[in-house]
Amino acid sequence: MSAKRSSINRPPTPDVDRDRENQEPTLQEIINIKMIESGEKERLKELLRERLIECGWRDEMKSLCRAYTRKKGRNNVTVDDLVHVITPKGRASVPDPVKAELLQRIRSFLASTAT
Amino acid sequence: MSSKINHHHQNDKTNGQIFPQPCPHLADFHARNGTKPFRAIQDCLHIKPPGGRAAIRRDSSEVPRCGVCGDSSCPRLYACMACAAVSCHVPPHSSHVAIHATKTSSACSHEIAVDVDRAELFCCACRDQVYDRDFDAAVVLAHTTSIIQSSKPENLRKRRRIDYRPWSPDLRERSLMVNNASPIDSMSSSNGDLPRGLRGLNNLGNTCFMNSVLQALFHTPPLRNYFLSDRHNRYYCQSKNGVRLCLACDLDTMFSAIFCGDRMPYSPAKFLYSWWRHASNLASYEQQDAHEFFISMLDGIHEKVEKDQHKPRRNGDCCIAHRVFSGILRSDVMCMACGFTSTTFDPCVDFSLDLEPNQGSSMKTSSTKTNHSCNCEADGMNSSQNCGISTLMGCLDRFTRPERLGSDQKFFCQQCQVRQESLKQMSIRKLPLVSCFHIKRFEHSSVRKMSRKVDRYLQFPLSLDMAPYLSSSILRSRFGNRFFPFDGDESNTLNEPSSEFELFAVVTHTGKLDAGHYVTYLRLSNKWYKCDDAWITEVNENTVRAAQGYMMFYVQKMLYYKASEKQGTS
Repeated sequence: MSAKRSSINRPPTPDVDRDRENQEPTLQEIINIKMIESGEKERLKELLRERLIECGWRDEMKSLCRAYTRKKGRNNVTVDDLVHVITPKGRASVPDPVKAELLQRIRSFLASTAT
Repeated sequence: MSSKINHHHQNDKTNGQIFPQPCPHLADFHARNGTKPFRAIQDCLHIKPPGGRAAIRRDSSEVPRCGVCGDSSCPRLYACMACAAVSCHVPPHSSHVAIHATKTSSACSHEIAVDVDRAELFCCACRDQVYDRDFDAAVVLAHTTSIIQSSKPENLRKRRRIDYRPWSPDLRERSLMVNNASPIDSMSSSNGDLPRGLRGLNNLGNTCFMNSVLQALFHTPPLRNYFLSDRHNRYYCQSKNGVRLCLACDLDTMFSAIFCGDRMPYSPAKFLYSWWRHASNLASYEQQDAHEFFISMLDGIHEKVEKDQHKPRRNGDCCIAHRVFSGILRSDVMCMACGFTSTTFDPCVDFSLDLEPNQGSSMKTSSTKTNHSCNCEADGMNSSQNCGISTLMGCLDRFTRPERLGSDQKFFCQQCQVRQESLKQMSIRKLPLVSCFHIKRFEHSSVRKMSRKVDRYLQFPLSLDMAPYLSSSILRSRFGNRFFPFDGDESNTLNEPSSEFELFAVVTHTGKLDAGHYVTYLRLSNKWYKCDDAWITEVNENTVRAAQGYMMFYVQKMLYYKASEKQGTS
């Protein structure tokens, strides 16, 4: 018997859920993939980032996080807590013009790739 | 230079940042994986220009999906550091990455993962973000490997520093002092309650622009100390160089006159005449700009310094004016196409700041970094839109924020070899001993052939921390607040001056562009004094706060003598 091959000591390969591959991807998934592949998702993310910084939304979220952390104590707060706390406020406070602009961009993207 | 006060922090402190202790799982990961545990991740770090965001991808077109549920659209996907399995984390609904972490065995730990879109470490067992210096170093390295590193410019080579040595006079020096000097009257003399060094300046014909700046300079601690300790002796200078135009000599004369104890207003006629000879284009009895005078005066002191001193303009060592006021600004221009950054360093003697143009568009409230804060509650987006008070920190934020150079200002990128749209960002490489903030209230438009004055109120703090505007802070935030010693961080922070400043003088302007009046407010022993040409009066702090600041003078906190110290002992 030869010495064990090093391949045996390799960490386990992640399981792939076989069932999922056979299902039809939903419309949402198709759009998502198309957006990522064309790079549009990245561009939209950058645009959104820029707009949210410009209008002070990001600073607003930062100060909410700071206030929460100060209240709870720096060592008692996790990232999950912060996300949980600011998500509803954040979603509600995105300015309407920003939403409109992004929707417009998505619409024109869909129109341009509709084949 | 006095030594810096040590901070007594138990945590590891590098470059002024407190570094959090690793959680036991991260420490365990380190222990298992040797000296370069994040080596494998280096190849997967992709930096996306122009923002420079770091992401983890096995190849650049990879679409990460959760290995368990196949979802690729959830906001947080984590890749396990041990086996590269990608899982999602959507608390409180499902956390496949936490499930994955349970695969940890004695042989292999699956507890540490990395956020694929943000390049941040996550401990699945603690369910919280963790920080690691080696990882951050790898991220910063990935940022900078593609960029050609320019060599450090000439003017940044560190000069040799001498250690601080305390001094007390010996017998010979003591007798010298006693025989050749006379003691200044003590505070409790008939001078009343006005501190030493306060003396009105007569207006010689629209010279309030000069009087206001002079009052501020007389009480600029390093400048005052320099002249009062006879570092520029006018008699010696004249005997050595002959009677010639020397603004420093005239300044020395004035310091003697101002601090001698005489309370009658002083007429700075000789100085005015000398300054006219220096800045002949401004020689008239018309109203002038105080800031222009300030710059011209510093320039005059610099020019007339003895040429044989062999001190080139390096780190602002050439003359007292630059030693006090000179700082270094860093300007980064980043190409939006390839990410290549071109950096230049320029000396400056003050900071000229724009007032925000329009209150309605900006929702920025003053940052929580200062001692004071904007009084309105930031509980709703709409209400904060009306809280549009301009603050000094807001102007500094504006000064250091990245500015998109428009398509008509394309910058030639050395890497792309073509003109590209770029992003420019200013930051402060070296803070001066005294920072003078000049607010651009006078707008001159050559296009419209008109000038106007911006009267909008600006709120300014009594204490100011300039740390967020330093190059080290700006660079750090550009890379996502990584723990990494950046260019600009001195290896020995003890010798670096701190970034905390105290306000000591405010030059204010009232009136119109062509017909106005300058007044200076001075802060001495924590009391405020209004210097209106020949009239000096004590005023309330609120009066100063409400005034229209045009030039604000801040000195490094360690040079600012606190209120409790009596004048005689300082």
